[in-house]
Amino acid sequence: MQALLSYDDAPPLSAPLRYYLTAPLFAMLAGALLLFAGPDLLVSRWTPAALAFTHLLTVGFMLQAMVGSLQQLLPVVVGANLPQPLRLATWVHATITPGALLLAAAFLLDTPLLFGSAIALLGFGLFLFIVAAMRALWSISASNPTLLGLKAAVLGLGVTTLSGLALAAALGWSLDWPLLQLTNLHLGWGFVVWGCVVLAAVALVVVPMFQLTPEYPAWFGRYFVRATLALVCCWSTAELAGWRVATALSATATLAMCALFMSVTLRLLRKSKRPKPDATHHFWNLALLSGLLACAVWLAAQWLPAVAAWPRWPLLYGALLLVGGFMSVTVGMLYKIVPFLVWLHLQSLGRGRVLAPNMKKVLPQQRIDRQLRAHLACCALLLLAVIWPVWFVYPAGVALIIANGWLLRNLLYASGIYRSHLVTIEAARLRAQ
Amino acid sequence: MSHRPVGKVVDGHGLEPPEPFELTMAALDAIDPSESVLLLLPREPHPLFQVLDRQGFLHRSQRTPEGHYEIRIWRAD
Repeated sequence: MQALLSYDDAPPLSAPLRYYLTAPLFAMLAGALLLFAGPDLLVSRWTPAALAFTHLLTVGFMLQAMVGSLQQLLPVVVGANLPQPLRLATWVHATITPGALLLAAAFLLDTPLLFGSAIALLGFGLFLFIVAAMRALWSISASNPTLLGLKAAVLGLGVTTLSGLALAAALGWSLDWPLLQLTNLHLGWGFVVWGCVVLAAVALVVVPMFQLTPEYPAWFGRYFVRATLALVCCWSTAELAGWRVATALSATATLAMCALFMSVTLRLLRKSKRPKPDATHHFWNLALLSGLLACAVWLAAQWLPAVAAWPRWPLLYGALLLVGGFMSVTVGMLYKIVPFLVWLHLQSLGRGRVLAPNMKKVLPQQRIDRQLRAHLACCALLLLAVIWPVWFVYPAGVALIIANGWLLRNLLYASGIYRSHLVTIEAARLRAQ
Repeated sequence: MSHRPVGKVVDGHGLEPPEPFELTMAALDAIDPSESVLLLLPREPHPLFQVLDRQGFLHRSQRTPEGHYEIRIWRAD
């Protein structure tokens, strides 16, 4: 007989919600930085402001949303229960939040003390999460593509964190370490193994489930994670050994794998049985198309000298990948995860005596549609800002603040519904006594 | 136990969460305590298992050769 899960092992709503409510604040801060730094931020990917901006989006927005989602999805999707979820969430959130702020400040002010503090906080919080997630994932005897993908993603987070900490130390104390190679390792493991593989692992479940598409092809589930992981290992080895041709070839093959995932998912979304696509469907489409464009820009820069000579291509690649790709898919997933969690917790707490509100009432479609339009405007303005910084950097900063302020407002609305329904449940419980 | 006759079948294929969950809970309300509910899904519904556990139900999950799941649910004695 299947072992029954204990509800007490599942994370309470406040465990993931704290990450989800913090993530938009980091994106708003990135928007404010864009306004403060102006067109100078977009001169190169290496300016202090550009590095701070990038890490407010990756270590701030993305990491908060991804760690929060994994903490929730591990028990729900693969039945891997993290030990003491509320305590874990408290420690991880309380360290990675100031850690991300200090890292951004360290890039801007370039002081060893700030880099050191960021290293300590991010290192502690992330390794706590990685160890807890590894213990939960490796305790499961079953084997399926999602589980394998999640294991690889946690490994990817480990390598990304280690290389990131090494880079922060090298920058903070001006150490003579191979910065470019470490950066490429950091980007490869961060964007591909931690970013794309975790997305694929989760997509294998949530795309057919929430978008009503056919299942992913069996060959994709069987080979994608293994092949991507093998290619990233080849890429890293070639990069560290300084083999230029092997580096270019293995990096190209890795990007082709990411493009394959996006193409397969786009094809599935076209076969959705939904009578009318909802906003989350549009968020997925936007993210996948933007991700494919980012791959195209990167490949063009590797193989076409004219593109490689254009100094802004890394910024265009970053805007397409981070905001158009990862931010879009994250926001789209939050709009499914948060109402579902609110509904699930209320359903469970109501114990059949008080019915949970309909998911569409937890977060009405109209609110999501409006935020989608703000997000689309933000993506378009950021791309224009990369090409014509003087004209578009300020509208892009304002748009980033508005889109994420709106996201925060929507998430707060859903948590407000949860709180008001808790009062109803408590009143019913008192009446029944 | 698991030999209880199936009182209702819930086919969750092609339904968006939480519809299979809601249909299953409604079916459990509707059947006789001596019967069970058979839920058909393309994946294991871990959140449902948690709520069933809390509300005093037992379940047995079986994977079909096609990779889908047949889940029998009944009230604990």
